[in-house]
Formats: sequence, C-alpha cells, structure tokens
Amino acid sequence: MWNLLILNPMVNLLLLFYRFLGHQTVLAITALTLVVRLAVLPLTLKQQQSARRMQELQPELVKLQKKYADDREKLAQEQMKLYREAGINPLGGCLPLLIQLPLLYGLWQAIMRTLAVSPLELIRLSQNVYSFIPGMASLIPLQSRFLWMDLGQPDPYYVLPILVVVTSWLSQKILTPPSTDPQSAAMNQQMLIMMPLMFGFISISYASGLSIYFIISNLVTLLQYFVTPRPRAVPAGTAEVAKEPERPKEPERSPQPARRKRGRR
Amino acid sequence: MNKPSHIYPVALALLAVLFLAGCAGGVRATSWTTLILHDGTLYVADLEQVRALDAETGQEVWAFPATPDLRQYGPFYTVTRLNDELLMVTSYERTGGGLFARSQGVLRALSLNGGRLAWPQPFTAAGEFIAPGAAGDGIFVIGNSDGNVYGLRIEDGTLVWQYPTRGRVWATPLVLSDTAYIASLDHHLYALDLQTGALRWQFRAGGAMADCPLFLNDTLYIGAFDHNLYALRPADGTEVWRFPGANWFWGTPAGSGDRLYAADVNGNVYALDAATGQEIWRSQVPGTVRLGPALSPDGKRLLIASENGALFGLDTADGFVLWQQSGQGQLGSMVIGGERVYVTRINAPQRVQAFYVENGRPVWSYPPQQQ
Repeated sequence: MWNLLILNPMVNLLLLFYRFLGHQTVLAITALTLVVRLAVLPLTLKQQQSARRMQELQPELVKLQKKYADDREKLAQEQMKLYREAGINPLGGCLPLLIQLPLLYGLWQAIMRTLAVSPLELIRLSQNVYSFIPGMASLIPLQSRFLWMDLGQPDPYYVLPILVVVTSWLSQKILTPPSTDPQSAAMNQQMLIMMPLMFGFISISYASGLSIYFIISNLVTLLQYFVTPRPRAVPAGTAEVAKEPERPKEPERSPQPARRKRGRR
Repeated sequence: MNKPSHIYPVALALLAVLFLAGCAGGVRATSWTTLILHDGTLYVADLEQVRALDAETGQEVWAFPATPDLRQYGPFYTVTRLNDELLMVTSYERTGGGLFARSQGVLRALSLNGGRLAWPQPFTAAGEFIAPGAAGDGIFVIGNSDGNVYGLRIEDGTLVWQYPTRGRVWATPLVLSDTAYIASLDHHLYALDLQTGALRWQFRAGGAMADCPLFLNDTLYIGAFDHNLYALRPADGTEVWRFPGANWFWGTPAGSGDRLYAADVNGNVYALDAATGQEIWRSQVPGTVRLGPALSPDGKRLLIASENGALFGLDTADGFVLWQQSGQGQLGSMVIGGERVYVTRINAPQRVQAFYVENGRPVWSYPPQQQ
C-alpha cells in the first residue's frame, strides 16, 4: 500500500522530471521537492499561522501565568479558554507536520532508491518503476555526478552539509517565534541549535542528493514565510479576556487599537 | 507550567529527522556476499570474516581474521579465487574517525589457507567492490562503485591500469584470452585490453547492466534493465539478436549447448534458442529475481533464487517448477557443485546453506541450526 500510494508515484515522478529536465538529477530532485512542498502547502501554511497566532497570544499567556501562579488547575482552564476564544488548537502545529511526514519520508526514499546508493536499493527499485510508461527503465540509475560530488555519496568537501546547517538554522529561526517564557525560550534556543546540527550530521553521513533536498526544502520554507501574508489578528474577545484583569474599569473599551498593533502586515 | 505549542512541532520535526535517518538506507551500502567453490571447499565473504567451509559437511575450516575485528577488517563483500595459492577478498572499511569518517573499498590478496596476506599493502578505491573480479595473464580485473575498472598486477597488487566509466560498476568481469568484458550501470558493456585497459569496443544497451556476461558458443549474452537480453559478438560487440522480457534482466544467464536460460526481475524464466533468441518455453516463480539462474552439471535442473528467500528447482525440459525451498533472508549468491547447490543468505541466522539439486532437500546450514 505504501509503495502503491506514496513511493511509486514519487519514484516515477522523479524519473519523469529527470527525463524532461535534461537528465539533471539535481534539477529533478529540486522539481520533485517543489511539487511535494506545493502539495503540503495548505498544511504548512496552517502550521505557520498556528505558530504566529500562538506568538501573538504570548503576552496574554504570561499574564495568566502570573495571575494564576499558585493555581495550576485554574491556569490550565484559563489557558484553554483563551485558546478556544482565539480559535486556536494548541496542537494545531503538530497535526499538519504529522500528515506531512509520510510524504516527506516517501520523498526521501524515492531519492535514495533512484540514486542506486546500494544494490539492494536498486533491486527494490525494479518493483517501483511503472513499466507502462515507455523508456522509464532506461533512465536508471540516475546520473549521480554533480560538480565535484557523487550524489549517492556524502559531499567530501562538506560544502553541502554546511549549506544544510545554515539553511536549516534560518528556516528554524523563522518558524520558532520568540517566547516570553524563559523556560520556553531556552528550549527554543536548544532546538535552534540541535535541529540544524542533526540535519548537518545526516548530510555528512548520507547521500548528497538528500542534502540537495534539505537545502531546497529549507529555501522553500524561507520563501514561503516571506511571501505569505500574515494572519489576521486574534478575535476581539481574546483581547478582552487578556485585558480584563488589568482594565476592570474599562470593559466597554474597544480592542481595535490593540488588534491593529499586533496585526502586522 | 505553560508549554508553548510551537515546541511540539519542533520536537516532532526532530523526531521525524531521527525517524528518517533510522529508516532510510545510508550510503554505507549493504550488499550481497559471494561464495565460491573450489576443490571441495567453499570460500565465503561472511560479514566480518572470510570463511572456508567444508562443502561436504559445512564445517568451518578456517576464518580470516580469526577473531572478527571491524576496526581492522571488513565487512567483507566478495571472494575470488585467483589460483591454487591466492584468494582476492574485498571489503568496505572505515577510515578516519568521528563525524569525518569515510568508507572505502579495500582489496586484499589472501593465501588459500587463510593464514597470510600476500600483498604488502591492500589496494583501495573510493567505492565498494560489489562484485568479485576475474584474473588472466597476471592481471586481476575488478570494477568499483566509484565507476572505475581496475587492472592490478596479481603479484603485488600494484595498479597497472584503470578505466573510468560513467556509472557504478557492480558486475564481475569476464576475462577471455586477452580481453576483459565488463558491464557498467552507465548502460555500456566494455571490452578492454587485459594488459593495458585500452578500450577495444563498447556496446550501448537501452538500460544499465549489472552482472557478468555469459560466454557460450562464441557469443556473449547479457541482460539489461531495458528489459532486453542481448546476444553479442565478442570480437566487435555487434548485436546478434535481442530478446524482450517483461522487466529488467539483472543476473548472468545460464546456458548449455544450444539452450540459453535467463530470468527477469519479475520472476519470469525464459528458455531460448541460443543461436536465434527464439523462446522455447517460459515459466514463472513468485518474487523478485536478481541472481542469474544456475544450471546443474547434467543440464536437467535450473535453479532460480528469489529475493524473498525462496529457491526453486525447475525442469529444464519445460520449465515446470519441481520443488521449492523457502528460507529466511534474501538469497545473496548461489553456486552448484555436483549434486548440491550452495547459497548465501542476507539477514538470516543461517547464512550459508546446502541443498540437493535434485529435490531441494536441505543438507546442512552454517551456522548449524539449533535443535
């Protein structure tokens, strides 16, 4: 089922891109990465919006933390209320990522398999190629020479792993909003270092073709962040909930100014 | 404590990376190991050791190194017998340390009794030596995943010539007289001068070629990933005929007299007229088939090994499947000696096994099965 629905279409799409892009493996990987990223675009946008909204709620969350510092149960209730009124699912960032995982794993597998990194991978590939499309078998294995590299091997000069680390750090940086909570901020900081290093380690250890995929994917994330519009500000009710304790005497005050201030364009 | 929700995606992404890294195959390729039979002894590239087994009983005769030590040797991929004194063994070994460790293919000459390394230095290449080499007239020829074909002096392992191809070379060369024929994944079969490595001719197929050609009746037969089995003239590489299969041809065909046998990766087994390429019969076994068929010495049985671990015995008269022997682990290599067929298995507790060719009955396993 995995092969039928995920891996086979990706392998054959990669081969078709390879055929129509002048037998350039890097271009084929880039095209497939773009297609897969396009396919999961609604999910990643939702993920980014969720992260941004959470960021906008941070001041209110901090206030709640201070107010209910001694009552954890009440704090949790108020937090959930705040999320509900703002129309945010606290796990909204996770689910899109979970749904994307199979596609990303399929993409990874397709790249490894078509590069014929090992004979065992190549023999498995024989069962993934659509024989009803003429000439597909003649494309195998993909041309793995690119500049100084063998795309089926790690980059011997570490140029690609360095690019992977840099682009991973940048995309991670923009995806992780600053936190007002010191503990969260420290955790974010750790993640900001660990994730790029982890990708860098994989790039050092695995085929360069994968590094190409990581780099393109990170660049797409960056591009997506800068070209997509910011989400609208949180609903009025949310601001009122947050401001209620501080402005008990001004319940009728319109939250519009505060909303405009947060809603960046 | 308030846990900001963006921590979850980040942590999940980290998990995803670990998952991907753990599940996908790395560049440190796993390969099938080879075995050869000579004078009643099986020589096997068996994980971290090269092993000699008594073909009659499966008892270990010797192992090199005596104690497995991956810091020094192995894992071993292939074994080739050069002559009555030497074996050539290849392995894929790490050099350097930590994050910057690299792996390289290593070729050593080992005395036939497993006790002595014959060359002062091993020969190394950037990629793995996936398939065994072949020797002739003082030169040992072997292909490498780095895309090169190497010609080495048997005496001391010095490089005499190297021929670059544009794809990985995973095929065993065929040495005939003063020519080495070797296939590359770059879709070419090359005929190289054995002494100098100079190109005599090249034949371009419509797809990659991954195994050794068969020489029979003054003709070369080789299968390609373009679904075709080709018959070529050894003198100039001219195509005599081609036979279209249903999927890739990977393994070396088998043949005897005027009959040729080949299997494609879909498990279709074909018996052809060697002279014309006309189909005589067609049979099928379940599973993916990579290894070329093996023909019994009397020409009555054709053995087919499938990647799912099953071994099939076919009647060469009509392709009828006479017996089937299932087993754990992918079949790596297969060799017939007398009444027995010997196979290696990958990722299986019993890594070498012997069966009767006639009926597929098991004879012994190495390591022996626990009762």
